[in-house]
Amino acid sequence: MKIIINIFGTEISLKQEISLELTSPTLKDVLMALKNQYKGQLERFIKDDLSPVEGSVILVNGRNIWSLDRFETKIHQGDELTFTVLVAGG
Amino acid sequence: MKGTHGKLLEVDLTQGKTKDLPISEQTFRRYLGGRGLGARLLFDLLPAKTDPLSPENVLIFLTGPLTGSMVTGSSKFVVVTKSPLTHGWCDSYSSGRIAIELKKVGYDGIVIWGRSNHPCYLKIDDGGIEIREADGIWGKDSFETERMIKEIEKNPSAGVSSIGPAGENLCKFASINSDLYRQAGRGGVGAVMGSKRLKAIVVKGTKGMDLHDRKKLTELNRESYQRALKSQVAQARMKYGTPLTLNITYTGGILPTKNFQFGTWEKALEKIDSVGVYKSVKSHKSCISCFVHCSLITEASEGKYKGITVEGPEYETLGMFGSNLLIDSLPTIIQANVLCDKLGLDTISTGNVIGFIMECFERGLISANQTEGLELCFGDGEASLTAIELIANRKGFGDILAEGVRAAADHIGEDSDRFAMHVKGLEFPAYEPRGAFGSGLSFAVSPRGACHRRAWPPAKEILGGYPPYTVEGKAEMIKELYDENCVLHSLLVCDMPAKFIPLSLDDYSNYFHAVTGEWISKNDFLAIAGRIETLIRMFNLREGFTRKDDTLPYRTLFEPLPDGPAKGQFIGEENLNRMIDDYYACRGWDSAGVPTKSTLQKYELPNEELNG
Repeated sequence: MKIIINIFGTEISLKQEISLELTSPTLKDVLMALKNQYKGQLERFIKDDLSPVEGSVILVNGRNIWSLDRFETKIHQGDELTFTVLVAGG
Repeated sequence: MKGTHGKLLEVDLTQGKTKDLPISEQTFRRYLGGRGLGARLLFDLLPAKTDPLSPENVLIFLTGPLTGSMVTGSSKFVVVTKSPLTHGWCDSYSSGRIAIELKKVGYDGIVIWGRSNHPCYLKIDDGGIEIREADGIWGKDSFETERMIKEIEKNPSAGVSSIGPAGENLCKFASINSDLYRQAGRGGVGAVMGSKRLKAIVVKGTKGMDLHDRKKLTELNRESYQRALKSQVAQARMKYGTPLTLNITYTGGILPTKNFQFGTWEKALEKIDSVGVYKSVKSHKSCISCFVHCSLITEASEGKYKGITVEGPEYETLGMFGSNLLIDSLPTIIQANVLCDKLGLDTISTGNVIGFIMECFERGLISANQTEGLELCFGDGEASLTAIELIANRKGFGDILAEGVRAAADHIGEDSDRFAMHVKGLEFPAYEPRGAFGSGLSFAVSPRGACHRRAWPPAKEILGGYPPYTVEGKAEMIKELYDENCVLHSLLVCDMPAKFIPLSLDDYSNYFHAVTGEWISKNDFLAIAGRIETLIRMFNLREGFTRKDDTLPYRTLFEPLPDGPAKGQFIGEENLNRMIDDYYACRGWDSAGVPTKSTLQKYELPNEELNG
C-alpha cells in the first residue's frame, strides 16, 4: 500500500509517497515500519514506544490521532500522515 | 504599582488641550492594563450609541504593566475604541517602539477625544506634549509619514504610529501602522484616528522604568531563553514564522479558499506556504524586547515585483490574499502586503472583501459596468492590487468595498450576504470554521467580531485531541483559550511566545512579580480575565448587541464543505446554539447572553452597570 507523509518541524518535507508492505495496518503497524525506514526524519517526532515527543503531534488525514482511535487507527491506501511540531497562531 | 506610571495622557483635539488622567493601583490590580484597562475605560468614558467616527468617540492607546520591561514579547500596545466597522467593542493589537517610548516618557497610555480642525500629529517627549500641524504630511502613505516625522523631529529612534490614506479616507478597516510593517489592523482603528484628523503620534522618552527586581527578571528571561533553545516548536517558529501555519490549516482542511468556498488548495504548497516563503527570506527579525525572532523579511524573487521587500507576509496575509483569492504568486502577495501597509489597510479584511467581490463576479451578481471596468476574478493578482488602491482611496467601486463586506453585501443584495464572511461586521480571518467547530464558536461570540487573536482553536481541534466536528466541550475549550489570551493581552505581552516557548500563566505570574512586586496567581489572573470579558460583554449589550449578533454566516452554518478532511461538514444552527448556550453558561451569563447578578457580584461589577 502507498501512504503520504508530511513532516513539519525545523525541516519540512511535503507529500512524500511511501510504499509499505502491510495489509490493513493500524497506525501502530505503520509507525513501526516507518520508524526503522525513516529513523533520521522521525526521531524528533516519535519516541521508541511510538508516542509523540513533547511538542509534537501525529495527524492522520488532518486529525490528531488522540481524536481518532489513537495507535489503533486504521490506515488505508492513500492516507496522509503528518508529523508536526505544535504550530501556534497566525 | 511598579511597572506602571499610574497615569494616562488625555488629549482633547477639539480644544487643543492635554492633561493627565490618573489610574489607581486598585484599577491596575483589577484590570491589569491593556485590554482589561481598555474595557474599564471604554465602558466608563464612552456614552452609549456614540457615532464611532464622531469627535465624541474616544481612541485609547494602552500599554500594560509588563510593557517596557525586559519580558520577552513586551513591546506591544492595544488600541481600544468603538469600531466603525461593527459599532461595538474594538481592541486592536500591535508591536511598536511607541509602546516602549510611552513608558519611557512617563505614561501608561493615551486617551484621545475630539477632532482637530486641521490635520495634526501628537508629539510627546521629555520636554512636553505638543499638538503639531500636519498639513504637509496629510495624504502621505504611512511609510513616508513615519520617515517625514522622524526627520522633522530630528529623532530617528522615536516611536511613530500613523495612518495612511485609508485612515484619512475613513475606510472602515483602516489600520494604524508602526515601525513601517506593524499594524493595529482590525476593526477600523485607523478610521477613528482619521476621523480625528490625527495623522500620527510620535513619542520619545529617556526615563528608565522602576522595576521591582531586575535581577530576577533577567534570571527569568534567561530561563525562558534556554527553554526556547530546547523547544523545537520555538525553533521551527523562528525559522519559518507564521507561514508554517498554512501547512497546518491546509492539512486540517481549514485553509480559506476561494472566499471560504473550500478548505484546501494544493497549489498553495511550496509556493505560498512555509516552504515557498522560506525561499524568499532575506533575514529574520525580532520585535523590540523579544528574543524570539519569528518575523521574516522577505523579498520578491521574480517577475514584475522582483526586489520588493516586506516584513512578512504573515499567515493571515498568505491565507486571505493567497488561497482565499486563488493567488499562488508570492511576489504578488508581497506587493499586496506592502500596498496595504503603506496605504494603511488591514490585510485580513481587505483580502476578505476582495474575495467576496470575486465571488459576486463569478455568480454574475455584478459586472464590470458597475465597477468602472474593473473585473475581479479569482486568481487575478493584478486586479486585486488595483482593488486595494481603489479601496484605500475610496475611488469608484472601492468606496463601497471600503465600508466592509457586510455593507458591500447590503449594497449588492441578491442573497450575497450568504457568502459575506463576517461576524458582527468584522471580516473572517484565515480559518474555515466548518473544519473545526470551536473556531466557529470563537468567531461567533467574539465581542469584536470574527477574531483570530482571542483564541486559536486549531491548537486544540487540529493539533490537539479535541474532535473537530463536534460541539461537546467546545464552550469550555474556547473560554479557557479566551481567558488565557485575555490575561496576556492585558499584561500586555505577545501571546505567541507563550504558545511556543512555551510560557504558562504561572511563568507570567513570576514575571509580573519581578516587574511590579505584586503576586497575582494563575487562578487570580483567570478571575480577572472573567471580569474583563464580562465587562466587555456589558459594553456591547449597552450598544444594543444581543444574542442574535453572536452568529455565523449562512455559508458556515448551512453549506457543506466540499473538500478536504472536513468534506461534508457544516456547523448548523442547532450546533451553534448549543455551543453558545454552553459558552454563556460557563461565563455566568443567562441564555440571552446577559451576565447574571451573581456573576456581576462575583466579579465585583456593580449591578447598575448593566443599565449604563
